[in-house]
Amino acid sequence: MLSGCLAKVVCSDARHNFLLHYLAAVGLAIITAFMFGLSELDEKLAAQPLEIMLPLMGIILMTPVFMPEQNENIRDVVRSKKTSYLGVCFIRLICSAVILTAITAVFVVYMRFQDSAVTARLFRGSVATSLALGSIGFFASAVSDNTIVGYMTAIMYYLCNFAMKDKLDRFYLFSMMSGSFEEKRWLLGMAAVLVAAGFFCRRAVRKQ
Amino acid sequence: MLFGKECRKIIRSLTYIIYCFIVVLFFITQYFSDCNEREYPPVKNGDYGYKISEDHDLIMGSAVNSLISDYLGNSYVCYPLGFYKMVHLKKSDRTTLEGYIKEITGLDKDGLEDVKNNSQKYYLSSGLSENVEYDVPEIPVATTMTYDRFTEIMGDIDDILGGGSEYAVDRLVHNFSQVPMTYEDAQAEYEELFEKDRISGSYARLFCDYIGIVIGIMPVFVAVALVSADRRRKVSELVYTRKISSFRLVFTRYAALVTTMFIPVLLSMTAAALQLMKNYSGENYNLSGMFTLPVFWLLPELMIVTAAGMLITEMFSGGTAIIVQFAWWFYDVLSSGMVLEGRIGKFTLVCRHNTLYQRTSFLLSRDNFVFNRLFYLAAAIVAAVLTVLVYELKRGGKFNAIRLFGQGGLLRRKA
Repeated sequence: MLSGCLAKVVCSDARHNFLLHYLAAVGLAIITAFMFGLSELDEKLAAQPLEIMLPLMGIILMTPVFMPEQNENIRDVVRSKKTSYLGVCFIRLICSAVILTAITAVFVVYMRFQDSAVTARLFRGSVATSLALGSIGFFASAVSDNTIVGYMTAIMYYLCNFAMKDKLDRFYLFSMMSGSFEEKRWLLGMAAVLVAAGFFCRRAVRKQ
Repeated sequence: MLFGKECRKIIRSLTYIIYCFIVVLFFITQYFSDCNEREYPPVKNGDYGYKISEDHDLIMGSAVNSLISDYLGNSYVCYPLGFYKMVHLKKSDRTTLEGYIKEITGLDKDGLEDVKNNSQKYYLSSGLSENVEYDVPEIPVATTMTYDRFTEIMGDIDDILGGGSEYAVDRLVHNFSQVPMTYEDAQAEYEELFEKDRISGSYARLFCDYIGIVIGIMPVFVAVALVSADRRRKVSELVYTRKISSFRLVFTRYAALVTTMFIPVLLSMTAAALQLMKNYSGENYNLSGMFTLPVFWLLPELMIVTAAGMLITEMFSGGTAIIVQFAWWFYDVLSSGMVLEGRIGKFTLVCRHNTLYQRTSFLLSRDNFVFNRLFYLAAAIVAAVLTVLVYELKRGGKFNAIRLFGQGGLLRRKA
């Protein structure tokens, strides 16, 4: 019964709210494959597409989790339902995380077939970067109740990484390109904290 | 009246506050901290970096040696879209390339084979495979080869490689004519800062380089938030019924956006000017240069990003505007590769000159720069006029934006 309800939520969300975002994420991965030469890359060069391009999927998939109910009328209808609104949002978030992990995995396998030295730690690092960037957008849109602010904050952070490597220290997104993987743990931790904080804000402050 | 109201609305919005924050953050962390101290004359026996000599013989000699080395290893590093790409050519293209090498050097097939045999071989791992690299001895260019024919050949080779190679005609001078700077060169460049740039010219260029990166993307969020606010608050229809003309409404909003978003840029300019006055007190600087060049450099960029954001939001949606602007900005910023000085093409959105020096390199692109900024100024006005037309159509009920989902969306299922 519960699993049937969950499946309905996931299918309905994917069809009506997130299909375009899923397609955009796949499109981004395909464009990346065309933009970068993915053959015969050593580990540092292989980190380039995995750190610069693929994490943008996090922004595309995780930032708009609250978007469908940004419209007050829809939110009122959702509030009247038995299923928890934040529960639905959590399912959306999990779906987004699963999809971005799957796309990254396919991308990494493709790079491997192109004779590039991609490793499991590059894959984990890329997913961690995507989740970190996505969680920034998620948190900003949860707090502001405005998806545009979410996108803006995530892109602002992305932009800062091009110019403020030293200042961001442990939260620097592009560390794998210089051979450092320690930062990824911190980014994963940051993602977990921001997601929890986003839901807490929605529940405690916005009473949803 | 309406202009004031729109300005107040923008200033109170969260997107504008974040916009101001990022402009100020970039200004302080990048420009202000970089220029905290005045420049001093070069010291003797130091490392002065490199300069571009533009010597045709040097360019041809260096380029052909690099080309032969790449040809023998059949590995060419390219940056077609600003990103690394290793190109390996197929046999027919290699034959074409061989013909060009023979033409440039005057070598025949046996001569080229001798070069291969006399070169030092290196085995380098490249990903999971191994490539051979050749360190070729210096090969002279044929005396009959002219520079015009040489650039023609290099253009063809760049096309064969798919573009973005180091043999691209517009990169030849930068890639193959760099020579170490002498103390006298460094001294001359330092004096140029005071005599020709009158200090402010150099600092204004660096200021624009940093702030231009932010201005190339961030204004779109503020524009999208303002344009989509009517729809979000469900007052679009109410606004449509008002007496005010579409032209006046759209242009007032556009002017309010540009004005408010230029305020933090102007404040940053003022702070930069004050810093310059403090660091160079007693010197003969031209303070107005800290304002004139940045206005000419940054205002058209701000205007086109804002106008494009408004137009795409009215025609499609806010999300589409953000994606399009991000793609444009991303491609523009990263396609420069490692060249950050004097990188100004006719249609470059984010012009770069990330140094206080190399005035000559900037002046080489001066015509492009002037054309570029005037073009974007005109394009911004055209985009704003198009926004008026789209708004007018929506107001008359003849058009309801092109959307995939939501009300009136192309993929919306009919009940």
